[in-house]
Amino acid sequence: MKKTTVLALTAAMLLTSLSAAEKKVEVQKGIKMPYMEFPMKQGKGMYSTKGKCNMCHSWGYVLNQGPQSKAFWRKKVIKMIDVFQAPIRNEDIDEVVEYLYANYGKRVKG
Amino acid sequence: MQRRDFFKKAALIAGSAAVGSTAADADTTTHPVDNRKVANIAFPQKRPLITYSDRPPLLETPREVFATPITPNDLFFVRWHMPMIPTYINPHYFSIKIDGEVKKPVKISFDSLKRDFEPVEITSVLQCGGNSRSAFHPTPGGIQWGPGAMGCAKWKGVRLKDVLAKAGLKKNAGWIKFHGLEKPVYTKTDGFVRALELSKLHDKIIIAYEMNGEALPYLNGFPVRLILPGFYSDSWVKMLSNITVTGTKPKLHFMDHAYRVPDNDCECETPDNLAPKTKPIEEMNVNSLIGYPTGGTKVKQGADLIVRGVAFDGGHGITKVEISTDGGSSWQEATLDDGSQGPYAYRSFRYTLKPAQTGALTLMARATNTKGETQPFAQDVKWNRGGYKYNGIDEVTVEVVS
Ligand code: HEC
Repeated sequence: MKKTTVLALTAAMLLTSLSAAEKKVEVQKGIKMPYMEFPMKQGKGMYSTKGKCNMCHSWGYVLNQGPQSKAFWRKKVIKMIDVFQAPIRNEDIDEVVEYLYANYGKRVKG
Repeated sequence: MQRRDFFKKAALIAGSAAVGSTAADADTTTHPVDNRKVANIAFPQKRPLITYSDRPPLLETPREVFATPITPNDLFFVRWHMPMIPTYINPHYFSIKIDGEVKKPVKISFDSLKRDFEPVEITSVLQCGGNSRSAFHPTPGGIQWGPGAMGCAKWKGVRLKDVLAKAGLKKNAGWIKFHGLEKPVYTKTDGFVRALELSKLHDKIIIAYEMNGEALPYLNGFPVRLILPGFYSDSWVKMLSNITVTGTKPKLHFMDHAYRVPDNDCECETPDNLAPKTKPIEEMNVNSLIGYPTGGTKVKQGADLIVRGVAFDGGHGITKVEISTDGGSSWQEATLDDGSQGPYAYRSFRYTLKPAQTGALTLMARATNTKGETQPFAQDVKWNRGGYKYNGIDEVTVEVVS
């Protein structure tokens, strides 16, 4: 972060019409990532789920799956634990699955 | 689902990305989710794109971009696996470390890459193995992409082979491991590391430092990334910082569990009967996409409608693209570009028609390659648990008005 500011300042001070030099500075000053809101639905278990599921990636990962069955969500939570070592205790799995299904559950048609 | 409902649904879910399967769709394939809206915020060096996540960034390119054979850098899709990505890199201090089963471990600086090696250029498609995954039901593991997890750019860089020669491979070298600067937040999670069998190394695999004549955008792997023409992009490691040569196949999550398909002729399986053996996805199958028109476009009856799009495969070359306006009963050949960008690039196609009747008109596109391989209808694409390699015949429905 510091470096970025310093470079940006330098760039401003050296401001000339040399476009090649400007380009170089532009490449070097890094990027600033935007924050995007992927709101969670309010409901029982939201805060607990938030703490467990937003640690390694955004909530967008969950929204992107679309509405799914309870079995699907259970499998996904277990995948996070088994494959990616998510620090979720066994006794907390149900609460997360219930929250996911209650709020992002697949409505079964016919 | 009726096309109308489809558009309505697509409009409703705007920006965020609900897909979801309906109950009736166990083990079937449809068209991938289309017409998702771009986000209202742009990522660095990008125009606003369809955004599934900001951490790590997952950005999909909208369909209309595929009306031309080169995908502009600021519209090029973005896919990272890990959320910790450097936002500042000074290329003059950047180097790639090569170690393992080599005669002399070396660090090759970014400046040296540009100065000491023969530069080469190749135009190549970069496509996620899970492109169009949202077509598969039940929902396979992974990001539910629409059809825009791909792009085609002109890459400039140096041959991987030349870079490896600086370190010199030992006799027992068998695999090359690649590691970029992205990191998991949680130290116990496996990092994103990929490996290539040495026997699959060839002259067209390059370490690129330019994309379409510009420095790589940060989100596409600044300052250098690996380019494997013809292969899905799972091994196109971004911000490439480490190359480790090993004797035997390394054990890696992202090699052994992800990016694999059933090791059988149809590369297919069912949820209840998973294939016992799997293999890496590797070479891309033949595919095409209509860039214009997009779904729901209103076009004029009797006026020229120029359908445009792109076709590609794993490097054998496209021989024809056909268009159908009657649901796939009859097909007419589209005009292809001159192919001067080479067999790994998008081949753009164009087909002019005059819609005769008002109402809904569905256009389909089907590509064939030099091996005679062609695309199946969407509903005939077979399911696999990872949702990889979808290449169903694309379709777009427009509204013809008088
Ligand atoms: C320890 C880190 C970690 C935690 C905690 C975690 N995940 Fe993940 N998750 C990952 C990684 C790594 C991926 C794969 C990333 C990629 O390929 O983009 C992933 C991918 C996903 C995906 C994409 C689909 C798929 O099959 O890969 C979904 C959905 C998901 N996570 C949901 C969740 C939910 C729900 C929770 C809370 C129970 C959770 N995650 C907690 C690390 C984690």
